[in-house]
Amino acid sequence: MRALNRAIDAPPAVDAVPATSPMAGLKWRAIGFVDVLAQAVRAIAPTAAAASTPALVVGQTGGALLLCLLLAWLLVGGVWAAIKQFTQRMRAPGSLYTFTTKGLGPHAGFAAAFALVVGYGFVAMFGLVGAGMYAQNLVSTAGVHSGGWGAAAGVALFGAVCFVVLRRGIRLSARVTLVVELVAVALMLTLLGIVLSHADAAALTRPVTAGVPSPGHLAAGTAVAMTAFVGFESAAALGRETRRPFFTIPRTMRWTVLAVGFAYLASMYIQQVGTETFGLPLADNDLAMTQLAGHSGVPWMGRLVEFGQATSLVACAIASLMALSRVLFTLGREGVLPAAVGWADPLRGTPLVALAAVIPVTVAVPLVLLGIGWTPWHTMSALLVVSAVGYLTAYTLVCAAAPAFLRRIGELTPRVGVVSSVAAAVLAVVVGVYLTVVARTQTLALWLVLALVGIGLGLYLWLRLTRRSRLAGMGLFDETTAADLLGADTLEGAGRV
Amino acid sequence: MTQRRADLTGRQPGAVLSALSVLEEVARAGPGVTARQISASLGLPRATAYRLLNLLVQDEYLVRLPDLSGFALGRKVALLAGLSVRQETEREIGAVLTPMRARIRGGVHLADLRGGNVGFLDVDEDFPLSDPDRITSDLKASAVGRLVLAERHRPANTEPAPYAVQVGVLVPGFGCCAVPIRDGAGRLVAAVALALPATRLADPPALASLLADDIRRLASVLESRP
Repeated sequence: MRALNRAIDAPPAVDAVPATSPMAGLKWRAIGFVDVLAQAVRAIAPTAAAASTPALVVGQTGGALLLCLLLAWLLVGGVWAAIKQFTQRMRAPGSLYTFTTKGLGPHAGFAAAFALVVGYGFVAMFGLVGAGMYAQNLVSTAGVHSGGWGAAAGVALFGAVCFVVLRRGIRLSARVTLVVELVAVALMLTLLGIVLSHADAAALTRPVTAGVPSPGHLAAGTAVAMTAFVGFESAAALGRETRRPFFTIPRTMRWTVLAVGFAYLASMYIQQVGTETFGLPLADNDLAMTQLAGHSGVPWMGRLVEFGQATSLVACAIASLMALSRVLFTLGREGVLPAAVGWADPLRGTPLVALAAVIPVTVAVPLVLLGIGWTPWHTMSALLVVSAVGYLTAYTLVCAAAPAFLRRIGELTPRVGVVSSVAAAVLAVVVGVYLTVVARTQTLALWLVLALVGIGLGLYLWLRLTRRSRLAGMGLFDETTAADLLGADTLEGAGRV
Repeated sequence: MTQRRADLTGRQPGAVLSALSVLEEVARAGPGVTARQISASLGLPRATAYRLLNLLVQDEYLVRLPDLSGFALGRKVALLAGLSVRQETEREIGAVLTPMRARIRGGVHLADLRGGNVGFLDVDEDFPLSDPDRITSDLKASAVGRLVLAERHRPANTEPAPYAVQVGVLVPGFGCCAVPIRDGAGRLVAAVALALPATRLADPPALASLLADDIRRLASVLESRP
């Protein structure tokens, strides 16, 4: 231990370590494991996803639910393995797009940034509309008929709630919504248990003995099932704000993916058994859970689960906007967006301008869609499709970036290289198949996707022409600073926000 | 460090040693050393080296430099300072005591007397202490305790006692001669205790002068301890 003793006695000078982090301003190491877990869980919104995904997957495949779910689970595992490589090594509020930039360079990084903004932005809109719709239903059961305005008012109201919560910081709200989410999932699993007790033997084996669908249907079902998992990666955006980030973030993501996977398995299996037993349709039946509760003689549980879905959707909007604001904040710091977007509230350590810029848009887009006469349910499904395309694109890019990044820093191992590359290739296929499915079933959503691709390309070209150097400067993250090195004489956390 | 680790448990003491050797290697090679260089110079399999590096980065013993490929020692390494110095001190004490034990056919113990209390830094395994509890609590019973008492009641401006002896208090027919070790300021900090049959304790001044060189070396080793 001679060299170590010498280094402790006289710490060596380290070049190229800045005095302050490019991400300074965001709160530093303020939150722990529970808050990060809450972020990942509520971005997934497992109650809402577990309730609605089976209907959506069956709509694509006509059966073989469990197979599609298992494939999606495996694929998400591959995405986790790729993201883990980054979250063990860097703290990046820009999460997946910063990771992609580190592996594949700024051009792919910009594509990932745009895909991620679309993914988070549209799922936040989806959450707001969903919560607005449930609120409208709640008001109408109380005898007040608001017409189409109820949902719109709900969207604006919940948008304001998101802003207040996110501006203040995420701690308390994270814990409250985590508890609500866990209670809702527990309720739903209890309800499913009751449904199961009504099932006969033939129905019990039906989901397992379902034949294998054609490859096209299988890919489409897998793509839809994957949307149930998206959001787990949003924990990575909290890199700077988490204590022991290199330990906490990868593990939180792993446990989240594992736990929700089991909940989905139970939900899918039992919904299929239950609808079989009671002779209900499952394909594209958005009321399957409520109907199952009614047929099982516990309609009040169905309503409670519905309430859980509504809170789950608000929480999902908050969590997605949290991650989205960190992405925009980083783009602001890099100069890709106006520098003001990279301004953080010095008192609260939250990205205030990014929030103020993004939340009005998140409220406005659904209001326009509702205003031109789309029903809330129609709006929600279109928003979800667009969001899923964004997410899956970002996942594909980050999986492709992982081996390139590891090779660059000289830490590539064969296993990681193979897993990430296979995941990237399969995801690319899944995205392609998903788009063809969308083209067949949701033409309006496809037009939205195409319009967004156009906007993204336009932005990219504009940046290349006018802000080339800023594009090249992408990839900023929360770097090691002089205060992290041996010999730093500052107290823990001193001088940092 | 409170969470249980799946990757690094108490059943893998080798991993701890490897982790320490990784830290030593980063210190030796200097800031900016890469994972590949570390695995090559330590002869560790690459996957193992990367896993250890990531564990050490997790707990901030190491940090990644902004290029993400180079490593440097993190601020937490300062916590290891006491540990490594203590190990070094123990090793140097052993280097003095081992030849003494070979030369003197009897028990050779090193007692810690800082703060006027009796503790032991190094006990001769071949001659265990007869009654450790009594030795540390009843100062009149042992030779090292008697040194502490003599120091405590020494009138100002008088020479300190060059040794203290007890015979037959703890074990009939056996006794002990304690020779003091003093720091630079002359304070009593430790003592070498020779546990011998009563017959060999007849001439304590001769025993004390026999140990003079060893006492000087031990004094300088103990001077540098934390």
